[in-house]
Amino acid sequence: MAVDARDANGQQKILRIWTQTFASPLQSASSKVSGATGGFFQQIWNFRGTAAENEQLKERLAQAERDLHAARLSEAENERLKSLLGLNEKSEVQSIPARVIARDPSVWFNTITINRGSSAGVAVNMPVVTGGGIVGRVITVSPWASQVMLITDEKAGAGAVVGQLGQSGALGSVRGRADLGVGVIEMRYVSGLEQVELGDYVMTTGQDGIYPPGLTVGKVVDVKKGSATQAHQILIQPGAQLDHLEEVAVLLYHPPQRSTPQQTLQNAEKPKDR
Amino acid sequence: MSQLKIAAVLLISIVLQLSLRAVWKPLAYIDFPLVVVVYIALQRDAWQALVVGTLAGLIVDAQSGGLIGAGGFSKTLTAYIIFFGATKVNLENPLLRIPVLAAATVVDSAIYVFLHRLLGYPPGVTLMQTISYKLIATTVVGTLVLYMLDSVMSGESSQRRQFATRRRVARRSTGPLRRR
Repeated sequence: MAVDARDANGQQKILRIWTQTFASPLQSASSKVSGATGGFFQQIWNFRGTAAENEQLKERLAQAERDLHAARLSEAENERLKSLLGLNEKSEVQSIPARVIARDPSVWFNTITINRGSSAGVAVNMPVVTGGGIVGRVITVSPWASQVMLITDEKAGAGAVVGQLGQSGALGSVRGRADLGVGVIEMRYVSGLEQVELGDYVMTTGQDGIYPPGLTVGKVVDVKKGSATQAHQILIQPGAQLDHLEEVAVLLYHPPQRSTPQQTLQNAEKPKDR
Repeated sequence: MSQLKIAAVLLISIVLQLSLRAVWKPLAYIDFPLVVVVYIALQRDAWQALVVGTLAGLIVDAQSGGLIGAGGFSKTLTAYIIFFGATKVNLENPLLRIPVLAAATVVDSAIYVFLHRLLGYPPGVTLMQTISYKLIATTVVGTLVLYMLDSVMSGESSQRRQFATRRRVARRSTGPLRRR
């Protein structure tokens, strides 16, 4: 006897939108209060290792500056090569920063609520990411808040490739598994003939029609090698810290429209209307 | 007045349920609306228990990623089962509330998961682990909450318990006389 009233498009449940609209200001406030309280105690705790951490950070900063310099050189080189090839630089996908204001109250499902909704331009099925990698996709939108299904949910999925898109043939799809928890996701359908190693990065392919290609999914933490007739069994640690999400970005990504495949054979005779 | 109190308690329980997971994840294992439903069902007020169960379940469902209505159904059914039990057996004893609350948690979770599985929408967490955590958290915290609700909801329930005690005492004292 599930309440299943949906909106005019039939994509979202009206009750969920209404509840989200009224609950989001409350959840936003409680999230701020809990964040401030937690942050205060965390700061006190953090004083203990400040000196050692400072040294480490200095080293990492120096390393990051070197990497940044190298990356800039590569980018410039990339630009030059692209212009030589006459390729048009595609515009970057625009994003909306959002704050996580609540998590699924029922503990049975892996969803989060963010403080951006249709008034900010968020729509159903838009991808949500962090700097570390993909987080999930928007499943419900109300004016000021949206619900996001995490990539670790059993019903979530994404087309992915082990390694770089275009260079690797280790294509498959990632999805959550109840028995693995939120720390690990599974990658399936990767041919057993492809080379997959621990620590390899997994990227999106864009074939799912939700995530743009080239986003980080995570890295390989376990591989049970397959064979010519059996796919690899791959476990991936998500790049995004899904247990400690605070800020995310919603990508205003509209996947390219696919043409409907022609259902009739060209040479087949059509039945005559009688 | 009593209805207003129930509405306020229900509202607070729902707000706690929606907000506490952001503070600390394990707090989400405490099912506050279920504790309120159990409390009202134990008062032997069938309609109030059913309405409160339905409302609490529906609102939490609307905020969760599961099927809307599954939680409403499970809480309503749990409320009815407890109400039915309370009319047959005297469950006013505070110690008896602990197993009642534990049983309610298991029944509610089992119905919720069963409905999701039936409709092809299995929950994304391990079943036994989650039910065990819910059972422990809801029973421990819920027992304390029931005591708090007793003091908040005041007169009626304590009066009922007093009458029950008086009846028991009266039965004991008049028992031998009857035999004669």
